[in-house]
Amino acid sequence: MVGDDAPSDGGIPDGARLIRFATAVLGDDAKELAAARDDIVAVMGGAALTDTAAVAALFNAIDRVADSTGIPLEDVKAEATADFRADIGIDDFAAASEKGFSA
Amino acid sequence: MTEISYQDLAWPVRDDITAAHRRTWERLAQPGTWLSGAERVAIAREARGALDCQLCRDRKDALSPNAVNGSHDHTGQLPELEVEQIHRIRTDPGRLSRAWHEGLREAGMVEERYVETVGVIANIVAMDTFTKGLGLDPWPLPAPQPGEPTRLRPVAAKQQMAWVSTLAPQDAIGTADEDLYAGRPTAAHIYQAMSLVPASVKGFFDLVVNQYLPPQAMTDFDNEYRAINHAQIELVAGRVSAINQCVY
Repeated sequence: MVGDDAPSDGGIPDGARLIRFATAVLGDDAKELAAARDDIVAVMGGAALTDTAAVAALFNAIDRVADSTGIPLEDVKAEATADFRADIGIDDFAAASEKGFSA
Repeated sequence: MTEISYQDLAWPVRDDITAAHRRTWERLAQPGTWLSGAERVAIAREARGALDCQLCRDRKDALSPNAVNGSHDHTGQLPELEVEQIHRIRTDPGRLSRAWHEGLREAGMVEERYVETVGVIANIVAMDTFTKGLGLDPWPLPAPQPGEPTRLRPVAAKQQMAWVSTLAPQDAIGTADEDLYAGRPTAAHIYQAMSLVPASVKGFFDLVVNQYLPPQAMTDFDNEYRAINHAQIELVAGRVSAINQCVY
């Protein structure tokens, strides 16, 4: 989910096509976005497309709220995710050292 | 005023999303707490324009954004300091730093305006990314409405957990801003992030509960509330946050 490799499904139904759409909607390739959109509609339906777009868009915004205000991750969440943050690369993000995680 | 409608789309958009988008557009045009309606709309316009800024592109491509100097391509409607804030938050949020924020503060940034500006950017990003995802043009910005900002700072707000001052839930109890947390003594940090400007929190979370999930639905794994399930929702959210390099 963190890397640039071809999307896997994350063990979740239709995960690969959802990741493809989420990647495309943040990118600059209009054709790829259109293809990702069509793929979701064809397999999952139109309502799934609009709800996927809504979630992707909301998190594109909420990330900016978190990063621009400098809020820390809650202690309980940091402890609960400590064992896999480093493994999947989150602790290598530029913002990790800003939020007190080892980079 | 632009009438936001998704009725002509080939795919169904939930009525609650459409309604939330209409409320967001109406709020955007109105005077806020620290910004006039004209300033709020100008910030939204600047946030859109940031995507075409050459300096922002060069910084995004650089190993460090601090390695690239220059001037932003901007609309000329806002002070340079606020243009820098808007462009960086819009185009490279994952590499914002406390030092960058402190630099803005030392250069004269007004903390309350900064937080309300974050709220405006968040709203425009949530709306514009949604329309982009559906293959639509962004909605035309609303015409600013006259009036003065209220300039009401929560009396119990203080510098504590974030780069900006926040209003802690327990400190809000018994104050005029108690309703922000509905009397609860705790809240997620993301909900507290913009609490220096309570109206910005309420406005943005109008989008959160409709584009994402209401609080009670987030952990109700016995029921599904959307056309994609909880796991699929979190997969999409996680992928977006990973691309944005958001550690929260």
